[in-house]
Amino acid sequence: MSILATKAPAHSSRLAPSLSARAKALLTSGTGIIIVLYIILYGLYSIWDPTALTADTVLNLTNNAVPLAIAAAGQTLIVLSRGFDLSVAGVISLTNVIMAAYPLDGPMGAVESLAICLAIGGVVGLINGFLVAVLRLQSIAATLATMIICQGLSLVILDAPGGTVADFISYDLTDVLFGVVPISGLFVAAVVLLWLLCRRTAFGTGLYVVGADETAAHLSGINVKRVRILSFVIGGMLYGLAGFMLSAQTATGNPNAGASFLMLTFAAVALGGTSLSGGRGSVIASIIGAATLMLLQKVLFAGGVSSFYTGIFQGVVLVLAVVFGNVVTHFVERRGAS
Amino acid sequence: MTETHPPGATVAPARRAQRQTESIADNRRTARLRPETITAVCVFGISILLVLGSRFVSPALGSWDHVNTIILLASFLIVVAFGQGIVIMIGGLDLSVPALITLGGVLTTSWIDASSGMSLPLIPAILLICACIGGISGLGVTLLRIPPFIMTMATGIITASAALGLTSGTPRGTAPPILTALMKASWIGIPVILLFIVAFAILGSVLQGRTSYGRRLTAIGANPVAAHVAGIAVRNSVLIAYMLSAAASGFAGMMLAGYANGATLRMGDDYLLPSIAAVVIGGSSILGGSGSFVATIGGAILLTALSTVISAIGIPQGWRTVIEGSIILIALLLLRENTFAFLRRRLAR
Repeated sequence: MSILATKAPAHSSRLAPSLSARAKALLTSGTGIIIVLYIILYGLYSIWDPTALTADTVLNLTNNAVPLAIAAAGQTLIVLSRGFDLSVAGVISLTNVIMAAYPLDGPMGAVESLAICLAIGGVVGLINGFLVAVLRLQSIAATLATMIICQGLSLVILDAPGGTVADFISYDLTDVLFGVVPISGLFVAAVVLLWLLCRRTAFGTGLYVVGADETAAHLSGINVKRVRILSFVIGGMLYGLAGFMLSAQTATGNPNAGASFLMLTFAAVALGGTSLSGGRGSVIASIIGAATLMLLQKVLFAGGVSSFYTGIFQGVVLVLAVVFGNVVTHFVERRGAS
Repeated sequence: MTETHPPGATVAPARRAQRQTESIADNRRTARLRPETITAVCVFGISILLVLGSRFVSPALGSWDHVNTIILLASFLIVVAFGQGIVIMIGGLDLSVPALITLGGVLTTSWIDASSGMSLPLIPAILLICACIGGISGLGVTLLRIPPFIMTMATGIITASAALGLTSGTPRGTAPPILTALMKASWIGIPVILLFIVAFAILGSVLQGRTSYGRRLTAIGANPVAAHVAGIAVRNSVLIAYMLSAAASGFAGMMLAGYANGATLRMGDDYLLPSIAAVVIGGSSILGGSGSFVATIGGAILLTALSTVISAIGIPQGWRTVIEGSIILIALLLLRENTFAFLRRRLAR
């Protein structure tokens, strides 16, 4: 235990100065791989289901994928700084039941609901950030506790599935703009835009550095606590937004609505090539990873796989995607080295 | 316990130096207490307080019967958390736990008929099947370098789906007598499961703390590269860890089948997060390299005691869940390393 406990960060060697360029190449390749995978799956889908290329199907696919995509985007921020956030399930359930129990109609109502959802997520994120960054609890343990508390509060507000979400939110936000652009997709586009801006700020850079090597981050003057707290707060707000979009889609409340998101967000993050040990990855790749997961279900259904065995295919695709990513990364790294 | 390391060089030396500066006072006795021991004592202490305090909730609680119930209900979690703890020790995470619990239970009830005498050879056979599935996870992690999180999630999904397909959605059969006896019989007045858990605890902690394999796991978790350089067969050790975890989950499934005298396809679902929580509450780092099985058992008993006490409170389910989460949070805060450092200073005076 004595010498061996010296926990040298395994990839500190990657922090050489010339590395930012290579890291960039890796990032683009991670995103590139998942885009290729998505296109392949969509190709299969269009072979098996002739309606795959209609605007209706695209709208359905987008609406299905948006809540998971936004939640996965939030999870990515925490994973990048080397943490796990289980509270995603709690926040989504909590915002969902609040939307169903206290519907606010009309466009202004939608804005108010959105503000409430973001505020709930932000507060939960702030608590998580405080527990992890200041009180130094392990992120997985602290967020497990906040997740359980949020689940409990959801049950207090709504003890059984029911309630209805405001009509404006459930109809207009799942519709299309100008006949082709899914409105829910615009929310994802906004998240992507914010991420692109965010990545250029001190916080965005800090996120990667803290995730790669916290000690080095601290020594180079990064306010580690601030980065961590901010990542949990923004992540939490994104879960709030995901809960908002989920409510728009399901139009009803369910105190367990978020439970299925727990594993799926991590699957989406990993599918997008983000390292679960921090420091490497991209929000955009996670969003496409989430879309891929949702598309996969449709493809398997269209391909006529018995619903008993869809799990086998999902598992195999998950593994193959990561192996494929590893192989490509390996070659890119080799080319970069020579 | 912290994943946010203090600034300075690597963690352990920094912590040790901190301890040395703190130890100007005479602490020859207290310094011998390892953090793992303190955590274990604290977790068990909180559990005992909780059970004693539960008399205020309901007069039926806090009795010897209540303790027996807690140990019976915690036994499944203890067995699962043993495997989960080993995988977390090497810096991994096993998400295939629920699927393997289900598989263990389903195979037990569908293959071993209650009347046939084949239960003795079939139990190890089923454990071997589970271990092989764990081996697939282990191979994925070591050879294909797939993150443990994804690999075990994938084997979990695949196994669960296979169990669903095998049983066509409705598991049949009953548990063999040997398993019902394990869960329900008693021997000279002592429940068999209590004896089993004590034996399991001793074997488990000897494996983790006293054998060379256990020390190898700690070394790998602390730093896989250093462990490799030091001549440890990292791949094999990791592979065996996943196999052990899968076999442990499979055995927990058998125990559940024996307890409920049947299997369901969702019987494992409630054990994933608690198994991770038990390990983490027991003070193990989720990043690997530290922890003890005794403290993990304490974590499992604490979680189970908590849920038995809370379910007796006459308030709506939602508030009960909120209280459960809050108590877990308070326990985590009490079990922080800073608290121990504080206690250590106090004891040293």
